Amino acid sequence: MSSCLFILDESLEPLISKNVKSVRNLTGILEFFKLNYKENGPPVFTVLEWHYVFIKRDSLWFMTAIHETDDRITNLMALTFYLDQLYLLLKTYFNRSSLDRNIVLDNVLLIIELIDESMDFGIVQLTDPSIIKDYIRVKVNSPITHLTSDDDSDTEEKHKGLSTYIPGKTDIVKLWKGQPAVTANEGKSNEQDNYDDDDDENFINSYIAKTTIMPVSWRTKGIYYAKNEFFLDVIEKVQYLMDFSTGRIRKNLIHGEIKCKCYLSGMPTLKVALNKLIKNDEQFISNSKFHQCVSINSLKREINNEEEENTYHGKEIEFIPPDGEFVLCKYELKRHVRDVPVIKLSNIEIKPKLKKYKIQIHVTIETHFKKQNSTSVLTIKIPLRMVFSQYKIDLTKQPRFKSDFGEVLFNISDDFLIWEVGSMKGGNGESKNNMVAEFFIFNQEEYDRLQEEMKTSMNPPPLREGPKLEEIYEQTHDNRDEHDKNGISQQLLTMKFEVPYSTCSGLKVEYLKIEENQVNYQSFPWVRYKTINDDEYAYLI
Amino acid sequence: MSDQRIFTRYRADEIKAEFQNVEVKKFKSNAMKRKNALRKIIANLTMGNLNEMSYLFPEIINYWKIEDDIEVRRICHEYIRKLGPSKPKNANDALPYILKDLDNRNPALQIMAIKTLLMVPSPDYVDEAFRFVSGIINRRSSSSDVLKTSIFALTQLDDINHDRALPLLDSLRDIISGDHQINSVKVAALNTLYTIHEKNLSLPNLNLTVDASYDLLTILPKLNEWDKALLLESLICVCVPQTHNDAYDLIDMVEPQLQHVNTYVALNALKFIIYITNYVDHISDNLSKKLSSSIIALLNKPPELQFLVLRNVILLLLSRESLILNLDVSYFFVEYNDPIYIKDTKLECLYLLANKDNLHNILEELEQYATDIDIQMSRKAIRAIGNLAVKLDENSADECVNTLLNLLEFGVDYVVEEIISVFRNILRKYQDQYKSQISTLVSYTDSIHESDSKNAMIWIITNYADILPEYLEYFRVFSSHILEETLEVQFSILNSSVKFFARNISKETEALCIEILKCCTEEIDNPDLRDRAFMYWRLLSLLQSPKSEINVEVIKDIVDGELPLIELNTKLDPAILEELELNIGSIASIYLKPVSQIFKQIKTKQLPSSSVLNQNRDSINIVSNENLIHEQKRSQTDRFSDINHYSEGRSIPSKPSRRNTIMDDYDKPAETVNQLKGKMRSSNSSSSLLSRKPTKLMRKLTIKKPF
Repeated sequence: MSSCLFILDESLEPLISKNVKSVRNLTGILEFFKLNYKENGPPVFTVLEWHYVFIKRDSLWFMTAIHETDDRITNLMALTFYLDQLYLLLKTYFNRSSLDRNIVLDNVLLIIELIDESMDFGIVQLTDPSIIKDYIRVKVNSPITHLTSDDDSDTEEKHKGLSTYIPGKTDIVKLWKGQPAVTANEGKSNEQDNYDDDDDENFINSYIAKTTIMPVSWRTKGIYYAKNEFFLDVIEKVQYLMDFSTGRIRKNLIHGEIKCKCYLSGMPTLKVALNKLIKNDEQFISNSKFHQCVSINSLKREINNEEEENTYHGKEIEFIPPDGEFVLCKYELKRHVRDVPVIKLSNIEIKPKLKKYKIQIHVTIETHFKKQNSTSVLTIKIPLRMVFSQYKIDLTKQPRFKSDFGEVLFNISDDFLIWEVGSMKGGNGESKNNMVAEFFIFNQEEYDRLQEEMKTSMNPPPLREGPKLEEIYEQTHDNRDEHDKNGISQQLLTMKFEVPYSTCSGLKVEYLKIEENQVNYQSFPWVRYKTINDDEYAYLI
Repeated sequence: MSDQRIFTRYRADEIKAEFQNVEVKKFKSNAMKRKNALRKIIANLTMGNLNEMSYLFPEIINYWKIEDDIEVRRICHEYIRKLGPSKPKNANDALPYILKDLDNRNPALQIMAIKTLLMVPSPDYVDEAFRFVSGIINRRSSSSDVLKTSIFALTQLDDINHDRALPLLDSLRDIISGDHQINSVKVAALNTLYTIHEKNLSLPNLNLTVDASYDLLTILPKLNEWDKALLLESLICVCVPQTHNDAYDLIDMVEPQLQHVNTYVALNALKFIIYITNYVDHISDNLSKKLSSSIIALLNKPPELQFLVLRNVILLLLSRESLILNLDVSYFFVEYNDPIYIKDTKLECLYLLANKDNLHNILEELEQYATDIDIQMSRKAIRAIGNLAVKLDENSADECVNTLLNLLEFGVDYVVEEIISVFRNILRKYQDQYKSQISTLVSYTDSIHESDSKNAMIWIITNYADILPEYLEYFRVFSSHILEETLEVQFSILNSSVKFFARNISKETEALCIEILKCCTEEIDNPDLRDRAFMYWRLLSLLQSPKSEINVEVIKDIVDGELPLIELNTKLDPAILEELELNIGSIASIYLKPVSQIFKQIKTKQLPSSSVLNQNRDSINIVSNENLIHEQKRSQTDRFSDINHYSEGRSIPSKPSRRNTIMDDYDKPAETVNQLKGKMRSSNSSSSLLSRKPTKLMRKLTIKKPF
């Protein structure tokens, strides 16, 4: 049980404070926190009789303090997880990919209300955005010029085939539905308009408020859509780290997620069968986590039954979905060390040709996934700082880049190359792509000779075309501190890719059934697959 | 509209003027402006501008009277809540309006009012709160939302006035045992009851029959995620299995929750199962697999959550070794982008997980960290390697030492310094095994600048002087700059010079010794050092007086006595571990200290006794679920024999003549010897007081110290 809760900005000034246990001196508590906070310190510390727990998200701190008389009955995991959830909740509410000071300041009252609603006397009640939205329907106060660049909105656009976001129109109810009122949701549009138009509306709806204490706490009754659709996305992130020089693979993991968007009327029951469950893949079963709407007990029973008597007709996940977006399942699979990565770096060579005063960087990649698929995005980032620190690169001469496919860009301020390959066909290593970058090494002799000529000749110095890279380089590298120069991130060749229509692990949805007994309607289930890179998909070179 | 303007300090009369402006012209648009002014008040309260804002009380009351807008009402409540705790007297005027809201038919407003009521610590407010809460709990007719909030409110009321809350507890019991339709309310009642019992010494521990617990656990799948966690939390120590079968059934019911997305639920499920395993006679290997994989899954979270999980993993590793958990070390390998506190905790885990089989892997990993750019990390990794050498048996120590020697070639100063410090500990444990390496170590004398490593180096030179022909040369590197050294190094130099003299009386050593003694007594101001130097001097001068019975042998015995073997104590006291295990996820588990020692709480958690309580937690067998396959069985027994082997290796001194005392001059490494001087008294009544003292391991594991 926390005693109070704060949201702080970069300088640890309070943006939101919430007194939970009638603490007399909130500012005093905060002062102690400020005095004792250490950068990079652990997220829990104790000062006198107060325990502080905090998380840092974006540029904000979410902090809560616990008085020591409560420490016996306080579960830190609960508080930390709550803070984390609160952050996610605010993010969803504001439809932002990150929070900052301004958005919090603009919505102080809304946030206080959200905290109030999610916590009773320090005991967390609920944090699921899709339920809280039924309680609190306040218009989000966000700047007009704000443009959403959310990943989610991207996928949404692809689904619907039209771009739906009108800047400034971040009305909360629409965002919950994740789609404009025009295309669907006509049944609710009346209601929505009310919210849009009337600020003084009393938003509390006591009928809906009952949902938290009902058995199906995640779905309200009486949802209606004119067009009933259900989207299911299987997204697998591949995490891969290989030490290229030694050939050792340090990491080869898949982080999978099944994301759903549900626009279905009534109280539908869904049945989803996954091939992994049918095959009784043990790794999958033990490393998967399901949304609370999936009754884990039923899942377990099915698995057990299958083992024992093989009479149960199939292994499917049965659930009543919440409305709107949710993550049905998260799983993590380990790949065998010998399993080839989706995009493999087959060769990287730095060939100094000292006689010609040139240095060449050769990069070759190959693909390892189904032939009929191809990547929709493929970008490779090649770090150059090592090369730059080893050789004296002459940037007065334009570097040259050549690639079989795509475009090579040179980021001079942070020393790396971006190779945008774009679309590349799948295969089993037979589809390859090469790239060569050539830099000039500083040639002292030539430089001296030219200087000498300049001195003696009467001609004006030759005109140079193009940008003066060496000057830009000087400027950007002037006051860089030495410390970050050789950080390990400077040795990582990272890749960004997206392979639609395929899953790395081979997970497949065998079927997806939607049943709603009371209202028989036609429904449209959509299933998509995608393999993308994790933040860490890199080769150490 | 942007609210940023609002977040500046205002004076009360500025806002007052704004209100008056609004009042004069009665337009619809004024509602907006009025709200704006109210927002400013809240913003100012957040910034701590309490005094100024308290002048606005009449305005707030005014709006309370006339406004029906729920948002304005909310602001009014918020105003009272923010101001109430520090100025309870002012708030009394608002009481009638809060009571009016309390009687409203809208449950949302009622909940808002009860929350406000509890925020103001004045007798009138408390009276009203008690009246309302007991009314709601006893009648049970109102909306279940209000009932639930009232039940939670009781926890807080109990803090204020325990005696008045006491009669209500029976009603809570009725709610739990009765067939209240709404599960969430049941959980709230149970949790409140549990909390109140936990907090009050006068109350015995809460106890539920196994049947009642079954009933509660059957509703588990239907609950909201946070309720699930609360239920599991409240059942620990409350529900006591009476037979082994009870225990197995309970585990079966909770086990699926290990896979829950909510970390809190998953961790509480883990905690509950760990608690129940105290009442079983065997565990299926399936369960152990499940527990392990759920821990691994928990690690895949934002760093703050990961940190908490890792601290608890340390706790479990300490208390259960690898018996229940079977974790793959690779999950604990440090990633370059981990925050420092995660890196530290992971190193701790790696250290605890290390055994014969995975040592190679771990060392390879640690070796990489040791060459890390981050100096702190590299030092810690080297320290860990050294500690592993001391923790494990001789063969493993060989491997660790080889790794260290490899690193030595790396040649960077801080790496060398750290290796030397660490080597001292290894040499203290394996006195003769690494004699051949001494000359290599000593050759790095010049690259040492840090006082701790200097100490270590002086110690090594002194102890192995017999195999170093030019030991005095090496020693002079330090002794010639004695005045510039830190105090500890000065002490070491003094001690060593006397030792050299006592061991081998020659002109050279005598000259050195006298030089140092002179320097210490005449040129250095520190009284401790001077006293010690005088003490040595007198001792040595006794040699010359013919009457005394002191001869060289005696002096050697005094100044150059044999040091006892160092011994590592990885174990915390079982009783403390038991208590910590029941507190998984709490603050105590982060600091790894028994609750009674750091916190003022006096009530300690203990396993409730039952006919099936295991006396010895290590005696639980892990039984494979399928028909016992022979191979598995054999590997199982192998594992046990390994463990036995380890413990033997650890406790048997290498020479019988050596005193196996526990000593306290060894406090640098991650884990250390039992320490006899403990200031804190344990309140646990136990026969052995010594074992209760906080070991240095525990201190090291606490995070109060900066990392």
